[in-house]
Amino acid sequence: MSGVETMTTPARRQLDANRLLTLVCVGLPLLGLVLFFLYPMVVVFLRSLTVDDGYGLANYTRVLGSTGFWRATEHSLLMGAATTVLSVFLGFIIAHGLYRCAFPGKWLIRGVIVLPLLAPSLVQALGLIFLLGRNGVISRALGVEIDIYGFWGLLIANTLYALPQAVMIIGAALVLLDARVYEAAEVMGASPSRQFRDLTLPAARFGILNAAFVCFTITITDFGNAAVIGGDYSVLATEIYSQVVGQRNFNMGAVVGIMLLLPTVVSYAIERQAMKRQQVGQVTGQVPYRPSFAAVRDPVMASLSLLICAGIVAVIGIVVYASFVTLWPYNMALSFKHYDITLAGGYSSLWMTIVISLMAATGGTLAVFLLCLGLRRLPRSAAQSIQMLAAVPAAVPGMVLGLAYILTFNSTATPLYLLYGTAALIAIVNFYHYHTQGFLTVMTGFRQLPKALEEAADSLGAGMARTAVDIIAPFIAPMLVSVFFFLFMRSMVTLSAVVFLTTPDLSVAAVTIMRLDDAGLTSQAAAFATCLMAVVCVALLGMKATLTLMGRRNRIKRPV
Amino acid sequence: MYLTVRNATKTFGSFKALDDVSIEIDRREFVCLLGPSGCGKTTLLRLIAGLSELNSGDILLEGAALSNLPARKRGFGIVFQSYSLFPNMTVAENIGYGLKIRGTPQSEISRRVTELLELVKLPKVAGKFPGQLSGGQQQRIALARAIAVDPRVLLLDEPLSALDAKVRAELRGEIRHVQRSLGIPTLMVTHDQEEALALADKIICMNHGVVVQAGTPEDLYHRPATRFVADFMGISNLVSAEPIRREFPDLMAQRPEGTGADHVACIRPEQIGLTPARDGNATVRSISFLGNLRRLEVDSAIGPLVVETHGYNSCHEGERVNLSIPPEACTWVTDDMPQQPAETAA
Repeated sequence: MSGVETMTTPARRQLDANRLLTLVCVGLPLLGLVLFFLYPMVVVFLRSLTVDDGYGLANYTRVLGSTGFWRATEHSLLMGAATTVLSVFLGFIIAHGLYRCAFPGKWLIRGVIVLPLLAPSLVQALGLIFLLGRNGVISRALGVEIDIYGFWGLLIANTLYALPQAVMIIGAALVLLDARVYEAAEVMGASPSRQFRDLTLPAARFGILNAAFVCFTITITDFGNAAVIGGDYSVLATEIYSQVVGQRNFNMGAVVGIMLLLPTVVSYAIERQAMKRQQVGQVTGQVPYRPSFAAVRDPVMASLSLLICAGIVAVIGIVVYASFVTLWPYNMALSFKHYDITLAGGYSSLWMTIVISLMAATGGTLAVFLLCLGLRRLPRSAAQSIQMLAAVPAAVPGMVLGLAYILTFNSTATPLYLLYGTAALIAIVNFYHYHTQGFLTVMTGFRQLPKALEEAADSLGAGMARTAVDIIAPFIAPMLVSVFFFLFMRSMVTLSAVVFLTTPDLSVAAVTIMRLDDAGLTSQAAAFATCLMAVVCVALLGMKATLTLMGRRNRIKRPV
Repeated sequence: MYLTVRNATKTFGSFKALDDVSIEIDRREFVCLLGPSGCGKTTLLRLIAGLSELNSGDILLEGAALSNLPARKRGFGIVFQSYSLFPNMTVAENIGYGLKIRGTPQSEISRRVTELLELVKLPKVAGKFPGQLSGGQQQRIALARAIAVDPRVLLLDEPLSALDAKVRAELRGEIRHVQRSLGIPTLMVTHDQEEALALADKIICMNHGVVVQAGTPEDLYHRPATRFVADFMGISNLVSAEPIRREFPDLMAQRPEGTGADHVACIRPEQIGLTPARDGNATVRSISFLGNLRRLEVDSAIGPLVVETHGYNSCHEGERVNLSIPPEACTWVTDDMPQQPAETAA
């Protein structure tokens, strides 16, 4: 019996070593959540109640009594609703085309549809200005004056930004519907339009609902587009910014932040419920649906999808193109002169953003892995409450989280002040901003891990740490890779959470683009945005390559 | 006794999965835990493995309590229904994993892996990944992985259930051969009575979290203690005392003293003699041809019965036949499932 110890006291101690490891795995990420999420949220809430002589509702009455606030709220809700309707409608067309219609060139649509995710949201706005602004290509070609700043410009920019999410969520719902269901309907004599009405639409119902809430949340919390193309059309996100940065009125900013938090929390709660309902129908051993060509439907769907994609390419492509134009719109000769950034700091913020993003991705992936690992060994009740906490950050708008951070870390009251103005703090805010998505992805990976695999390792004598390294990590490696790149790419382009945390010495790429645009250096903003998109594209390709490589290794291992 | 479980009780919430269960396994013995799903057999195996904890009771290995010892310190081998090979490791790495953890030198591990691959008759797959093997091959590797560390007890959790019929029979022979040649005390969980009959030295039949009967396969088949066991171990005709006394009075002699209506007669279908006779005491209702045997449902004076005959048989449906039941073919069993109609269970 080599290596088997006698059944005396060491056993007890070993058991405790595993317990200790579980506590560390759960404890460290939990401490992070408390320090860098819960605590700042409490601070921002308290600040919203802080008045000259203690606590009170004076800030709220002031904000609720101002016409500016109500105008911004009305704009935010209207903009959110309009964007939601438009992006869900267009998203359904593309998702239906991709998963329920037969036409060539789907890879192109798949590739184009993710483009808006690879750039800061304000790039859509920049692109629209180059297309439809006073000096825009289209305006000049048509010889008309279009007022793109305001509602319509913001609506288009937000729709483009929300569209990828809508397509992905609705597409995922459609994929769940098994081919055999369609075959059964076919045999029973249901016409294609009946099948669409009775099978496809009901299946997509929760997907559509889910997509609607996600799009709504993205829109009302987005800052970049509103800042660049919103013009006089003030929304809640820009209202917070002007309160905090313009008027240095932190308490009022906190109030507006709390007010912005309300609709997003409600929306997120409903979205989570919709998601749960959708997953009930899932079965294993699915037969994927393979659409066959339909003479009228498919050419129409293909042209619509391509048209929408052309819009995306035009908006993003024009930014890249404009960055090379010598003097827009008077001298259209190409040159590299805008790539010589004249704003103080030049490209340093781009390098700094890469460093920050790597920090957020590495630390974040490790943290969610440890958390999931520990949660698996915790009693169900404890695990569930921690899981709920881990899923909350997605409900908090980036602007509010960023404001909470500056209120918490720019105060000398606690030693946490030491973090203020460091790259680490920006990496941390990025990680907690996107904590939920990373956590849920890794959690899904853990759910797919058969319990028996761990038990087999356990009875062969492997301890928890050993099992984690030898068995679990290789098993969920694809999920970890996805989370790593997701955190990296989001950290590269996010603006809302970090806009309050940059200092004259420490800036990030998205903020630099905004500052360049503010300074009237629009072409340089385009150049900087192009460089940023290039970095993110490389990361995306890196992720695809890594996952393909892993998939190939896995295919050798598990032929289907 | 080598391994003893004493008065084990395990509850999940308000559900009592095991209720005061005691079992024993001897050195070199092959014991099968047999029962329908939900009877507690897998729960018991997992308790022995250390994968879950007892509410009360003891598990003793050579007289020493195992309760505080985590699974990885018990030195047991386990094989799951789902193979559960590590997908990221080759076959050789899978088999050698337990030895690697124990710090065995690499050369020794390689030697042992080769030896075990020979033993499970898959000498050429060392470098392959589990996904490249068939289900039967994967389960052989899982067996090799479990025995690589010279386990003190081998635990098999429905190891054959996921395989198709032919592979199952083949691997059944393999498991028996390996267990006999290495003499590892083995506990296997199964719901397949045929598997238990073929493999076990001792069968422990469970239902609703308690042990109903333990004994040799012959005991359980020919001398079931209760209606449940008789029913679970193959097909049996269960007839209450009254019609037996009327139609086959000589079978009453087998009935133990002092038993009453709570006992029913158990008669195995292959032990009933059947001869065509115009004035016979029964009528053939239906016949199913099963290859090596025929199964007939007949209507008799003691109710419907199932009869099995080997070889050629000229009976037709609707024909009159004469049934004969030798006294030794009848066992009187406790009726532990009285809620069901006390006639024939087929």
